[in-house]
Amino acid sequence: MARKQATNMIKYIIKRIIIMIPLLLLALTTTWILSHMMSVDPVLNQVGITDPEILELERQRVGYYDPWYVKLAIYLKNFFTGDWGESYVMKKGKSVFTLISEIFPKTIELMILPTILGPIIATKLGASAAKHKDKKRDTIIRFIAIVGAGFPIFWFAAVVQMGFGVFIYDFTNGQLDVPVMLTNTPGISDGYPGPPGGFRTNFRIIDSIIYNDQIFLWDTILHLFLPTLVMVFISLSGITRLTRSSMLEVLDQDYIRTARAKGVEETSVINKHALRNALLPSSDKIIGGALGAFFGSLFIEMVFAYEGYGYYLVQSVLVGDYLLINGLTVFTVIFTLVGTLLADVMYTIIDPRITYK
Amino acid sequence: MIEQDVTSEEANYTDFSVGGKKKWINLLKFYLLPTWRNPEFTAYENEIEKIKSKRRLFRRLLKPLTIIGFLMILFIVILAVYGPWLTEIPLQQVLLPFVPPDGIPFDEPSLEHPLGTTLYGYDILARIIWGARSTIGMSFIPVILGMGGGLILGTISAYFGGPVDYAMMRFVDLMYILPFGILTFILIPLIGGGILTQLVIFGVLGIPGNIRYMRTLVLVVKEMVFVRAAKTGGAQKFKIMFKHVVPNAVSPIIISFFGGAAATMLGLAGLGFVGLGDESVATWGTDVFWGAGQLYSGRAAAIWPGIFLGITAAGFMLVGDGIRDALDPRFHK
Repeated sequence: MARKQATNMIKYIIKRIIIMIPLLLLALTTTWILSHMMSVDPVLNQVGITDPEILELERQRVGYYDPWYVKLAIYLKNFFTGDWGESYVMKKGKSVFTLISEIFPKTIELMILPTILGPIIATKLGASAAKHKDKKRDTIIRFIAIVGAGFPIFWFAAVVQMGFGVFIYDFTNGQLDVPVMLTNTPGISDGYPGPPGGFRTNFRIIDSIIYNDQIFLWDTILHLFLPTLVMVFISLSGITRLTRSSMLEVLDQDYIRTARAKGVEETSVINKHALRNALLPSSDKIIGGALGAFFGSLFIEMVFAYEGYGYYLVQSVLVGDYLLINGLTVFTVIFTLVGTLLADVMYTIIDPRITYK
Repeated sequence: MIEQDVTSEEANYTDFSVGGKKKWINLLKFYLLPTWRNPEFTAYENEIEKIKSKRRLFRRLLKPLTIIGFLMILFIVILAVYGPWLTEIPLQQVLLPFVPPDGIPFDEPSLEHPLGTTLYGYDILARIIWGARSTIGMSFIPVILGMGGGLILGTISAYFGGPVDYAMMRFVDLMYILPFGILTFILIPLIGGGILTQLVIFGVLGIPGNIRYMRTLVLVVKEMVFVRAAKTGGAQKFKIMFKHVVPNAVSPIIISFFGGAAATMLGLAGLGFVGLGDESVATWGTDVFWGAGQLYSGRAAAIWPGIFLGITAAGFMLVGDGIRDALDPRFHK
């Protein structure tokens, strides 16, 4: 039985991967078309309006006057042969692939703690809110969750930044200068620890541990503190509300009454019988939340000037760096596809009643 | 005969009094005949039950958080409706073509400007009050568009099934993997235009989610007996869909209206914050965008509009949750 289920699962995964390919192609084409129809002119942004002749030459060089199908075919061919092009405006001449491999670790460093901590705290809060339904505790937790969901992310980020940057600074009469925060990583030219050109994982925390660069490590962690704080708070709200409502539904079931009737302790009724069943709908949300955190991180990166995924995305859209837009979008699409597939597979592990055919 | 009397419009409550002319006979019957009840009295009881259940629904609505939500929305609606009475500064003097000649950008609060000033020296309070109108109006259009489109397409997809359903679901999948944020960022500078284009884009991009939601709802209702009865009776397909299926499946999606309005409001504010908003309209998102860059001088310029934005969105969410809990049969006994 178990073996049959395993083969079924493998078949299902293969089927999903086969469906992925046309979806990926469609997504590629769509983003390509959209990014080329943009009203922003990248050549104008790069060269400037001063000399029309240079502008014209540059346009001919990058193939501005080619027909669209030639451009699309070249782009698709290059994409599948591993050449994702070069950034044109943002970091001129830098390969998009290298740029992405530098950008994404930064965003992952920002996201990893909220993605782990958020669901853990949120399920606890949601379960306790459902347990004390319509009591004081439930009202307080729901209110906090609503505040987290209702107030905009960027507003929270700005307020936290002001709070820590201005009010506490005023309170201590300007004497809150942790020396590490102000050193701003001396001696490091390109913002990474270790010798230039050496081995790097591009995760700054891991790199600074490898090269034993303590100043850089503390600097990175201190800079990550406020954005992570905001992200944890934001990621709490959605899962708390979901866990509460599904928990309320489960607590009404017959098997909970049975468990209580046969004398199981209340804590283990909540934690073992109810919470495990209530987690099923929200387990979907946790992976979706990790993907959604990319777009939450966009605003947070904008406010904290943290040069990660979202910051580059917004800037490249604003200046029309279309190869970079495409690269970032494709990476996100692949991320999303793999993430949803993983979520579906995880779902069968969490809930053995579900089988895929 | 008696039932007709009860349902006729001239019947008033004094007619329901137990007894009347035949009071003694009815009482005797009640005592002597087992299981006999005065039909008038039964009708009267039913009437009371109806009123009671309405009261219960109302009482279920009046949880403390829902009341807070209603008050929040009421506050914003009052701001929007009585805006011209609350501030002396006309709308034209806080919008872009007009730059106040003696305005100091990001000024501290003073008697003239109770909350301080923002970019170009506009009054923050005036911009917040005028922004209430545009924010409330803006949040409804995309939601109605998205819900309407999702409702029609989702019903068609679920009802017909087969290749129609397959094609529709692949389209929805495509829209799901293309990130919403990137699409709006690319589409809005691309199509250009003012606030109306942005609203339409938001609405259209909201359709796929609603298609998926409506589809699951219709798939349940489709199998019910009355649909089969309508089919047997020879009703046309579209008549079955929109007269029998949709009214029975639509209530959850209507309840999700409030959550959708809140999400749209936050999305549009986010767009304004990134700098793609339409600056010819006074919106709170743009206000936060202007203020957030000013860490030291203009703190109020970012904080106040954000608070109003949060109050509106949280109010919508609270009311939506409250209505859902009140109408959901699972939550009351």
